[in-house]
Amino acid sequence: MELIKNTRFDFIGKRKFAYLFSLAIIVIGMVIFGMRGKANFGIDFVGGDIVQIKFSTASSIVAVRNELKKLNIPEITVQEIGTEHNEFIIKSPPKTSDEILGVLETSFGKEHFTVMAKSVISPSMSVTLRKRALTAFFAGLIGILLYLTMRFEFHFAVCATIAIFHDLLIVIAILAISNRIIDGTIIAALLTIAGYSVNDTIVIFDRIRENLRKTRSKNYAELFNQSINETLSRTILTVLTVIFVDVLLLIFGGEPLKNFAYTLLFGFFFGAYSSIFIASAILIDWQKRSGFRFKL
Amino acid sequence: MMRNHYIKLGFIIAVIAYCIWQIYPPDKKIKKGLDLQGGVHIVLEVQQPPEQDKSMSDVTQRALEIIRNRVDGLGVSEPVIQKEGTNRIIVDLPGIKDTQRAIDVIGKTALLEFRLVEEDTKKLTDALKGDSEVLKDYEVLYTQQKDERGIRREATPILVKRQPELTGAGLTDAFVGYGPSGFPEVNFVLNKEGAAKFAEVTEKNIGKRLAIVLDGVVKSAPVIRDRIPDGRGQISGDFTMDEAKELAVVLRAGALPAKVDIIYQQIVGPTLGKEYIEKSLRASLYGVIVVVIFMVIYYYAFGLLADFAMAMNLLILLAFMSLFKGVLTLPGIAGIALTCGMAVDANILIFERIREELRSGKSAKAAIEAGYHRAWSVILDSNITTIITGAILFFLGEGSVKGFGLTLSVGIIANLFTAVFATKAIVDFAVANRSIEKLRI
Repeated sequence: MELIKNTRFDFIGKRKFAYLFSLAIIVIGMVIFGMRGKANFGIDFVGGDIVQIKFSTASSIVAVRNELKKLNIPEITVQEIGTEHNEFIIKSPPKTSDEILGVLETSFGKEHFTVMAKSVISPSMSVTLRKRALTAFFAGLIGILLYLTMRFEFHFAVCATIAIFHDLLIVIAILAISNRIIDGTIIAALLTIAGYSVNDTIVIFDRIRENLRKTRSKNYAELFNQSINETLSRTILTVLTVIFVDVLLLIFGGEPLKNFAYTLLFGFFFGAYSSIFIASAILIDWQKRSGFRFKL
Repeated sequence: MMRNHYIKLGFIIAVIAYCIWQIYPPDKKIKKGLDLQGGVHIVLEVQQPPEQDKSMSDVTQRALEIIRNRVDGLGVSEPVIQKEGTNRIIVDLPGIKDTQRAIDVIGKTALLEFRLVEEDTKKLTDALKGDSEVLKDYEVLYTQQKDERGIRREATPILVKRQPELTGAGLTDAFVGYGPSGFPEVNFVLNKEGAAKFAEVTEKNIGKRLAIVLDGVVKSAPVIRDRIPDGRGQISGDFTMDEAKELAVVLRAGALPAKVDIIYQQIVGPTLGKEYIEKSLRASLYGVIVVVIFMVIYYYAFGLLADFAMAMNLLILLAFMSLFKGVLTLPGIAGIALTCGMAVDANILIFERIREELRSGKSAKAAIEAGYHRAWSVILDSNITTIITGAILFFLGEGSVKGFGLTLSVGIIANLFTAVFATKAIVDFAVANRSIEKLRI
């Protein structure tokens, strides 16, 4: 079977629309990100307690919330998980989980629920985790950039890196827009996106390089379009198989993998999108402006 | 030429057989992370002790050894206790059920002191008012009482001497016993010097009260009736049996050289881990099945070949985990599933290239050769970028994220072997000594 064959889309000609589209998402997302402030981050980056409880019979989130109001801690959030209305995740400021459990014990009875999981992260630990996540994040990006510069000509490497930043910004924007939090696993997802989404860009750039060597053509727009079209089926198929797996993880994988799979889904999608619409387009615009010649 | 093919095929079969032998049975061979089997992960921060001259690193090391002794007293099968930096200690207790007790045992300073009680009530009221003259030699401590909900509250103030007569450092043994009224109490035995000191103190202070202070709280303050020569004594208080056992464990292991704070604590109940495993494995299985079917529909026999490579990829990854005691975490399972989705990428790149070469008029065999040859550098480049991120997550990631970095990077490294070398060997074997007119791909 061959679904995508002999396509002749003018990707390069439409690049202004792509720029605009990406810019719109990023700007909206970043404004929301800025407004949310600390709420963007999970407790491992800001400190706090998480308790996951499961009642033996169905309960209501309103009842749990009302009981916890007694504590007068406005930052407490209660979230229902699963489908049976008996499992809840309670997030609260540092060192409040014992009080929370105390209140729940007196109101609902100790024997009527179990503590499935509990995390307590002090502010000083969250500083460590934040630092480590940032280090991992930038070490990953620098590693990829160095490898690309080693393997590709400088202009290619820069554009591939810009495409990676583009993907990450879009994903962070979408996380902010859809009111999701960034925690340690999301940082892992972002890094995975950086490492994986550049693959399609590599495939396309490799083809551009091959075609440049073969044809010696100076009509870059046409040559770039041709290269993107020639590799289009690859770009789409490779990302499609990963998206299959990821969507099923998102649907069936259970609560803790949800945010992770959600982040990856958009990352993989926009990774392919940026490989097709953004990476080569930036390279063309750069070339037009400064008129450099590709060293092959 | 044919011999070469057989050697390669033989090698592939040997690798598969070895991997299966290494993995089986997976339940025992693959080590599960805390998030999957339940347990506690704690990070402790050791506070600077009052004596400034001691090196922080040494204090932490000493604390670590004591905590190790205490954990041994808990009977956990595979605890991990390690130092991080100069002042942090990481404790992993996989599979432990009574998590709260474990945390209490680990985090308690357990500084046992014997201090003489000052009965002069005027001095006590002065001290409570903050009279610095009295507070120079004395200190106000409190006894502890439980309220109706079983939560401890600090209650009656007692004035005791600042300088302890004796500390728990001279303790050789501690065990649970029952007091005259049938309540559990902790018996202790002092070493020779401790016993001598104890005898001296009790002899000089007959009729006075001696407060037994644990971590700054007065457990009991019995009246000294006689000289105690043998260095034996009891700590009574309103203990439950479990609390008494806990106290005996920490007293035997010794007091921590400084106060420790629990700055990170992650508890996963045993049932939750089981639920996570089931859900994530099922989701992964569905994902893999969809990819397997998709590849066959899209590339026919070659799709099957890619599926075979993916299965082999999975086997090698799991065998690696078993062989090098890699820890499988929940994100790690997701990493394995995603690796399967990424593993076929290499084959897609190769097959698409073969199709292209066929379109340009090459013969079947030439197209296969060119397809593998031309796709190789791209496959290498794209796999390496993924490995870079995977490796960084493994080395710098925290907790369960480490497991994700591990499965991702190992899976993608194995991919270079299975998707390129193994499939090529099989294709070569299949087309050798045969003339192929048309390639169905």
